[in-house]
Amino acid sequence: MPIANPPPSARSAEPGRTGGAAPSGQGVRRSGSGRDQRRAVGRPRADRLAPYVLVAPAVLVIVVLRLWPLLLGANFSFTGDGQRNGTTVGLDNYLELFRDPLFRGALRNVGLLVLILPVAVAIPGLLATFIHLRVPGHRLYRSVYFFPAVLSPVIVGAIFNLLLAFDGPLNAVLGAVGIGPVDWLGDPDVAMFTVVGVHVWATFGMALVVFLAGFATLDATLVEAARVDGASLPQIIWHVIAPSLIRTIQFVFVTTMIGMLTSMFGLLYVMTSGGPEGSTYLPEYYIWVQQGQLNRPALASAASTVLFLIMLVVGLLQISLLRRAGREA
Amino acid sequence: MSAVLVAGLALAGCGSAAGPRSTPGGSDGRLVVWDWKSGEPSAASYIEQAKADFAKKHPDVTVDFVNQPFDQYYTLLGAAIQSGKGPDVILFNGGGQIRDRVDALMPLDDYLAEDRQRLAGWDAFTRDGRTYASPVTLQGHPIYYNKTLYEKAGLDPANPAMTWDEFVDDCAAITKATGARCFALGNKEGYGIQFFLSGLASGILTPQEYDAWVGGKRDWTSPNVKRIFELWKEAGDKGLNNDGANSTAMFNDSFALFQSGKAAHVIGLMSDVGHWRDFSEFLTADKLGVMDAPVVSSGAIPSLPYDGGIGYAVAKWTKDPKVAADLVRSLTSTDALSAFYAGAGAIASDTTIDVSGGGPAVATIVSKIKTGKPAPHVALSSKTLDLMGRLSQQLLSGSVTVDEAVKQLAASDQAG
Repeated sequence: MPIANPPPSARSAEPGRTGGAAPSGQGVRRSGSGRDQRRAVGRPRADRLAPYVLVAPAVLVIVVLRLWPLLLGANFSFTGDGQRNGTTVGLDNYLELFRDPLFRGALRNVGLLVLILPVAVAIPGLLATFIHLRVPGHRLYRSVYFFPAVLSPVIVGAIFNLLLAFDGPLNAVLGAVGIGPVDWLGDPDVAMFTVVGVHVWATFGMALVVFLAGFATLDATLVEAARVDGASLPQIIWHVIAPSLIRTIQFVFVTTMIGMLTSMFGLLYVMTSGGPEGSTYLPEYYIWVQQGQLNRPALASAASTVLFLIMLVVGLLQISLLRRAGREA
Repeated sequence: MSAVLVAGLALAGCGSAAGPRSTPGGSDGRLVVWDWKSGEPSAASYIEQAKADFAKKHPDVTVDFVNQPFDQYYTLLGAAIQSGKGPDVILFNGGGQIRDRVDALMPLDDYLAEDRQRLAGWDAFTRDGRTYASPVTLQGHPIYYNKTLYEKAGLDPANPAMTWDEFVDDCAAITKATGARCFALGNKEGYGIQFFLSGLASGILTPQEYDAWVGGKRDWTSPNVKRIFELWKEAGDKGLNNDGANSTAMFNDSFALFQSGKAAHVIGLMSDVGHWRDFSEFLTADKLGVMDAPVVSSGAIPSLPYDGGIGYAVAKWTKDPKVAADLVRSLTSTDALSAFYAGAGAIASDTTIDVSGGGPAVATIVSKIKTGKPAPHVALSSKTLDLMGRLSQQLLSGSVTVDEAVKQLAASDQAG
């Protein structure tokens, strides 16, 4: 559909513009439409082909570099590893995947990330609100909050490895106030939350900036009016600010989800190596281990295909949500 | 006049042809070596020595060392093997890496007969009774201990414990006197159990069981095999390890704990990192000891667990295998390996090298090479090792029983 769009809109724009200029004299309109007719008669085939030629490079890039490898990868996932290299094994890889408690754990962790998502969006949202409401020191906070966003995951992971070590500073502080040490990265019930927490800390600066941009479009008189009417701060946030920012919030939801599913690898690699007890595996880490460490490329392809399908479903759901919200707004 | 010109041109032609084209030396007068070591400054004198030794035997053959990045090494090598041409002499890690690729290599038994006795670590480069590479370094898992802590606890640092019970008693005394733990353990990546298994197995398994294990006939139902994992759990439960072992990285946090005197023992390495030279820098060479595995079950005879670390092989497509094998022999000559030991601090495969200047720890290690045996964890597949890493963490946290862990390991080991 988008391919067919440009020529009609280009043609219809011209009469429109000349129509608008009509009061200044008829001659202008006549000459304009005459040029239009000549073009339509003289080069109809070029006009019809031009859009296809123009989009061809983009389509070729997508097909050759994206879709074709995707198909190859999916096809590869139906072949075997090691002794059975190259032979078709049907759904064996997929059966093995879903029998592997490690992969099931990785999928469970994806579910956990989806559940944590509202918290990960609420934190930058709330902090941006405070900055917008000009709490004391808001200028300082604005730059401080953004600072971690410029650090690479490996550096962030290394810093938190030191802070969260069993004999590290955080546990020393906890010990000083009488709370027993927590093995932040060594306890399977805690480690995933620790890593997600660090990920949120490291990335919420971006979301904060997006929220602040959203606030720039907010009508200040609405907040003012609510204040005059005696609304409390929670009421202002819930009834005035949140509804006005619904599009921004949805955008942050989508980008945060994508960030969680695709860019946690560096942190996992540095902070936990998927452990303890395999409790912090995510599908992409599992793919890397199978392909690089255990020499199972075909099994890794199957896992990649599963991850692709998950991302497809999540992405489509989010797009439909966005569309609906866009129509309402 | 023109005759002189022609003669000059002909001479120049000969000169330039001498490099790439054929000369009496055989394989085009040029040998290409692939490795990931020759670019390191610490290996420079080793390469120099080897080249000089080879030049004496084959002055007309030039040798080119191509230093490849290690993380790409076997990928690049795989491409070379697929195309059937590439380097003449190839550096390999011992064990699976070379055994998986022997189809592309030349058996070297006939050429290396003279080096058999002088060098150790052949097993890691042998498959089906044929030797495919000559070992350069040895890698293994000695138990290092901190003599200063022994002295502080009133123990005799020259006579460490011979049995497990004595060992645990000594550890209790050390912890009481100094606050230091018994073992520095890093099991974040699941490597801790691999070192524990290899470091202590010779004190737990009988020699017959040990040989059967490394020979591929592993009896997971044997009480002694189960004992290894019980001991692992016990060490954790009794507080012999540092706190938070499951979140401590082996490289290099656990080694740092040992170096800083927060733990009395560590099962480390012999070459590269986490080894005698690293530890000597902090603890000083005369305060660093190496002990035998404490005996746990009767009938066990402690031995040093080690394998060939890296070694040079000859590709089967090389033009003149004799010349290439001579280069391998030069790369493992006593002079060259002495330089490697001195430069990189690696335990070289040559047992005749004088290591007396390196301190008591390295002297003890080298003295145990003759009676040493292959390390048990090296015999396991990478899949089983991966599983063992996770199970070991569960054993420490108490979320799996020893019986269940051994059952899962047996299933994984027998499946592949």
